[in-house]
Amino acid sequence: MFNQLYESIIIGFKAVFQSKGRALLTMLGIIIGILSVSLMGTAINGIDNVFNQTLGMFGDDVLYVQQFPWFMGDAEWWEFRNRPQIREEYSEKISKRAESISYASVEMNRRVTLSYKENNSEGVDLGGRGWQSAYIDAAKIQSGRYFTQLEDKNASRVILIGSEVHKLLFPNVEDPCGLDIKVNGLKFRVIGVFAEQGKIFGMFSIDNMAVIPFQTLKAVFGRSQWLSISLKTREGFDKDYALEEVRSITRGLRGLRPLEKDNFAINQQEAMEDELGKIKTSIAAVGIGIAALSLLVGGIGIMNIMFVSVKERTKEIGIRKALGAKRWVILVQFLFEAIIIALIGGLIGLGLTSLLVGVVNKFFVASMSLGLVLTAIGVSIGVGIFSGIVPASQAAKLDPIEAMRYE
Amino acid sequence: MSLLKLKNIYRIYQIGDIEVRALNGVDVDVEKNEYVSIMGPSGSGKSTLMNIIGCLDTPTSGGYELDGMTIHQEIKDGSGIASDDQLAVIRNQKIGFIFQTFNLLPRMTALHNVELPLIYAGVPRLERLERAKAVLESVQLADRMYHRPNELSGGQRQRVAVARALVNDPSIILADEPTGNLDSKTGHDIMNLISNLHERGNTIILVTHEHDIAERASRVINMLDGKIHLDNKKK
Repeated sequence: MFNQLYESIIIGFKAVFQSKGRALLTMLGIIIGILSVSLMGTAINGIDNVFNQTLGMFGDDVLYVQQFPWFMGDAEWWEFRNRPQIREEYSEKISKRAESISYASVEMNRRVTLSYKENNSEGVDLGGRGWQSAYIDAAKIQSGRYFTQLEDKNASRVILIGSEVHKLLFPNVEDPCGLDIKVNGLKFRVIGVFAEQGKIFGMFSIDNMAVIPFQTLKAVFGRSQWLSISLKTREGFDKDYALEEVRSITRGLRGLRPLEKDNFAINQQEAMEDELGKIKTSIAAVGIGIAALSLLVGGIGIMNIMFVSVKERTKEIGIRKALGAKRWVILVQFLFEAIIIALIGGLIGLGLTSLLVGVVNKFFVASMSLGLVLTAIGVSIGVGIFSGIVPASQAAKLDPIEAMRYE
Repeated sequence: MSLLKLKNIYRIYQIGDIEVRALNGVDVDVEKNEYVSIMGPSGSGKSTLMNIIGCLDTPTSGGYELDGMTIHQEIKDGSGIASDDQLAVIRNQKIGFIFQTFNLLPRMTALHNVELPLIYAGVPRLERLERAKAVLESVQLADRMYHRPNELSGGQRQRVAVARALVNDPSIILADEPTGNLDSKTGHDIMNLISNLHERGNTIILVTHEHDIAERASRVINMLDGKIHLDNKKK
């Protein structure tokens, strides 16, 4: 039994390698199919990885009171643009009134150029944050410390920098804490460096950033139009409860009457999750569509070539049957030939995918996983069985006398 | 007890509206270690008879017993009729075929061709190799084992086929025009080889249309129009 199975597999292999060119052409459909399935898979994996990074960035127990929701259409932007601004004092008021909030901090941002000696870092996202951010912000500090309440109150010129800024300004300094840099020409002292957080969608680094106290940013560069309030949910409180409490307090702060709509947005990590979910779904839909189509075409191609192979080897089948090959032996022989073609096609597809992952990563996110490899292999084998079963069973049922006469 | 017993065998083909009676009531008994040749003009049914004896074909009606096994029952009641796969096992274990056109697999070495029946019998690899080599040596092909059929002469190819027929130690060797594709000298050698097999105790059934080849057998059956015309046993 195992002898015969082994023999059948070997024959299948030989049959494929005897007509390499034909087999390779036949594989094209499978190659493309597996390529699109696995590229899709790598993109979805990539998005999941991005999501895990954003977890680190936002923290899952933080609410953001802002003028705009994180995801909206263009039309809405024009509508929301006219909303009253978020005010600095909300931070203190919400944290005093909301029992479900442990810390509240205000933040505003500005693009600046940082420089140290002859090194420059342009387009840095400079955040001015309340001292409470130390307890809200999920970004880890690699060296140094956060600024204190006093430094915030006194508008001290202290700065924490992101890892990207660190690399650009201090390529040779391991720990730049205590050194002075210039922010748009003004002198600040580095007091901390954030740990590296990576790139979102492989495109923009979230490490090209710096943080200074809110009061300092306000005093030095003036007040920004767009303020954001970060709120940390107190331990033991439900996030939905916190969201409702914050909403009603904010409505009160903005003097909204009961039937008026919210003129602010409360953002949280879940919104990001939902949006990524949408992207994932559409990638999957397109990927599966292309994959299904090319796998079907590839499968039919293999089926066709298998019919040819059975025809070509009719005499051989007759001889084998005359010598005592049972039906299943012949069936397995041809089924394996089809599976081997599909499997090699699938492996080539996977190989191409792993090459392309690097390329894709330059403009989007992608990552291979073991599950993906196994899925691709499983799908290839499935296609092989699907397209081999009919020709193989036709071969198995051949009449030995007629088959031997075939030339 | 006879090794092979055919009783009232009919084989009828329907080709369009025409009914062709390839075998029209054949009765044959063959004893162990007989050397039988079957002669007859083309269309007389000798090849059909050969196919039925070789379990490559089944009769339309009639009884066939081989080595004590019922392959086809005279009165059909659904039992005693071997399935496709059972026939394959019988061919594998009881019958050794020698064909006019050799019917070797072209892409395999002589050794692998001879191994094939053993593969289908499920013989483990080492034993298989040993037996296939031994039988190739017995037909003087020890030095050609790793050659493919297209690297062998016609006589050598037929000797590979003889080796393949012998390797499973069958009850009967069926030779269908074994010299048909060979020159007379090589044909003579092959016939000597077959006579040797008979002397060593094998049962041989040979289909031919050449008298001098048929005369080597100890029994000559003449067929005509799907029936046995003459059945001469020599003493």
